[in-house]
Amino acid sequence: MVIDKQLDKILKKVEKPARYIGGEVNSVKKDLKDVKVRVGFAFPDMYEIGMSYMGLQILYNILNKTEGVYCERVFAPATDMEDIMRAEGRELFTLETFTPVKEMDILGFTLQYEMSFTNILNMLDLGAIPVKSADRGEEYPVIVAGGPCAYNPEPLAHFIDMFMVGDGEELFPQIALLKAECSTKQEFLQRCAELDGIYVPSFYDVTYNEDGTIKEYVKLYDKAPDRVKRAVIQSLDDAEFPTENIVPFIDTVHDRCVVETFRGCTRGCRFCQAGMIYRPVRERKPETIKGIVKEQLANTGHDELSLLSLSTSDYSRFEDLAMELMGMCKAQNVALSLPSLRLDSFSFKVLDEIQGYRKSGLTFAPEAGSQRLRDIINKNITEENIYSAVEQAIELGWETIKLYFMDGLPGETYEDLEGIAQIAKNIIDINFKIRGRKGGRFRVTVSVSNFVPKAHTPFQWAAQDRPEVLKEKHNFLSERLRMKGVTFNYHETATSNLEAIIARGDRRVGDMIYRAWQLGCKFDAWTEHHKNELWQQAMEETGATLDFYAYRERSYDEILPWEIIDPRIERSFFERENEKAKAGETTHDCRLGCVGCGMNKHVKCFHGADESRLQKIGKEVSSG
Amino acid sequence: MAKYVMEFSKTGTICYTSHLDVMRMFKRIFKRAGIPLAYSQGFNPHPKMGFAQPLSLGYEATEEYIEFETQTDWDPNELYERVKAIMADGIDMKYCKPLNENIHKSLSALTEAALYTVSVPLNGQTVDDPQKLADDYLAQEKIITLKKQKKKKEQKEVDIKGMIRRLNFSAKGDTLTMRMLLDQGSTSNLSPELVIATVLPFAGLDTDRSEISVTRDKIIFVDGVEI
Repeated sequence: MVIDKQLDKILKKVEKPARYIGGEVNSVKKDLKDVKVRVGFAFPDMYEIGMSYMGLQILYNILNKTEGVYCERVFAPATDMEDIMRAEGRELFTLETFTPVKEMDILGFTLQYEMSFTNILNMLDLGAIPVKSADRGEEYPVIVAGGPCAYNPEPLAHFIDMFMVGDGEELFPQIALLKAECSTKQEFLQRCAELDGIYVPSFYDVTYNEDGTIKEYVKLYDKAPDRVKRAVIQSLDDAEFPTENIVPFIDTVHDRCVVETFRGCTRGCRFCQAGMIYRPVRERKPETIKGIVKEQLANTGHDELSLLSLSTSDYSRFEDLAMELMGMCKAQNVALSLPSLRLDSFSFKVLDEIQGYRKSGLTFAPEAGSQRLRDIINKNITEENIYSAVEQAIELGWETIKLYFMDGLPGETYEDLEGIAQIAKNIIDINFKIRGRKGGRFRVTVSVSNFVPKAHTPFQWAAQDRPEVLKEKHNFLSERLRMKGVTFNYHETATSNLEAIIARGDRRVGDMIYRAWQLGCKFDAWTEHHKNELWQQAMEETGATLDFYAYRERSYDEILPWEIIDPRIERSFFERENEKAKAGETTHDCRLGCVGCGMNKHVKCFHGADESRLQKIGKEVSSG
Repeated sequence: MAKYVMEFSKTGTICYTSHLDVMRMFKRIFKRAGIPLAYSQGFNPHPKMGFAQPLSLGYEATEEYIEFETQTDWDPNELYERVKAIMADGIDMKYCKPLNENIHKSLSALTEAALYTVSVPLNGQTVDDPQKLADDYLAQEKIITLKKQKKKKEQKEVDIKGMIRRLNFSAKGDTLTMRMLLDQGSTSNLSPELVIATVLPFAGLDTDRSEISVTRDKIIFVDGVEI
């Protein structure tokens, strides 16, 4: 690829210029003569982050396999690059052809975390595209967005023309082809709105009660659905998965082969959005997985393979698959990485084999410090599970244990926090018991993140702790965790509160995001860039209060902003689960029997799984 | 086990990848090409391959070498064809041949100098006699500049005069072309950046570094060793 002099000069001045040059192995080049629709796939963060995200590779692959469609990548330039681009008047461009993004037909943003939202506005602006939908005429691309944060699209309703909610494998190529058939933006949006998974904010008006809660949604276009049903693919096994992954030149966060083994989760943790919105479980068959692995390794030359799902060992044929992949990898000098394993004896056998003498840390996520609170959040792990796994791990030579907890959970008391310290102490003691008084280089890392209530979960009505309460809890934990061999990390309180506003925000929160961006906020997920005082100013100026959006418990009568999206899980299920949480009752893993979330009215659960093993695995999970 | 060497050039946007990036890319290319490399022994085995000399980020190059060791014997042409077929745009493979059997050191240990071409747009500035400029520059008693030290933050003053083997300047149109033969390798190493940084003020030129392009034309091995 030949680039112009201006860009060449710019690249000589910036850090890691290879972020901006494209041309990587397996990136797609198309003859523009054969292209009817040009799609920009934008990841609102830096190249190294975006290229580690498998969803990008999945959709890039599917769109580029669609005849007449060309999908090109766009990332947020680092601040040094942005400054020079703005000074030189260079507009944001795609990596495949260096085309200005405003020349795309569709520009799609993936919404992975709330703290990337200001980057979306900034990228539009860098692309010389008006940030607000209302200011964009026919000459600009249709701006679309999808991904987990699209399940509460309202905070971005002013900026995005159309949201895609749910699985994108079938939906995205479908709308790309529709674009070629439509002569105006309005016609395109109207035709898309008839599809499951498409939400067009401009087809609805929202009115509010005096107390600030939502009064009603008024449809402005008759054929728009009352609620937008999320798009669901029935069979993951039949869904296209990339085998010619783009191989970045530069080091990225995850630089490896990845195969998604299954989508969805059966556990039903009440705080977890992913566990709800990716339902039901759909598995890819072992033969398909092995085939993809083989091709990916051959086409990329990667020396690491990882499996992608919400919990690796919940795959119904996990043991057979793990053994076979281990064999394949060993033969080719490829490292196998199996994240989020349930630590039973089989997992230890596998981990010991694949990690050899270079053992990484072992991670547990009890999430809460007492059985009482773990029952409230429906996190099915007992302290006995952890301790017996830790014992085995220490005997096999592991020296680092990581523990993940949340604080600020509904119903939490200081006894639960005390429990966190107790677990850390017990693990240190186990090490002393096994390895003697000195205990070697053993370390326990305790990471505590602040609970952020999320849309479409049983805790969607819950109040978030105020910063002073969280700070007190952090101080308490710092004090209690001051032990030899223990490291304690916790998250910034202000960021968690801000996340909470946006995660459960309505359209008015969009004004706050807009103002924050105007004031200079961007890359908010990066601690070194996050500017809390500017966000405070944006909140004050636009009237978005933490009291209303973060600290307030909602009532069941309230119309919640994200209920314009139908996740295909019934509201009654969320209410029931929330009530059971209050009563401290657990709900069993749905492999042991349907728990009635409503999903199976739309899609078959456990498609592609070996159903004869579900009960057995369900029982193992439940008994530890 | 058999050792081979391949020659290649690097031009266009791919010159914005670093030495380590290209190293990693070659490692993957060999895997994709189905050419099993020999691995080093030990806890952290690495494939046996390496470049004669690292190339700075942003530089183009016309004659670079990569040496590597395969697990079995190959027809060098087969190696060349396989690698060429899947190589990223901008890296042009020239040929592959067995490494000279009499060589027992790595190519990087044998490297002693390299020839660079530096193109400086003059943007209307003039240089009356380019070669005289080169000679006057070299006629200085010392050529002192600041050099970053390995693993340290402070910069250290160095005299680079003795590391410059030859300078030929010429001007055509609006461009000053500086050809320079510089020490390279483990015993004495001079980056063209330091020459650029000292020549420009010496000549009274104020062209911005971002407008200047650098190409490495040739790597020279000790005593003219044939690889």
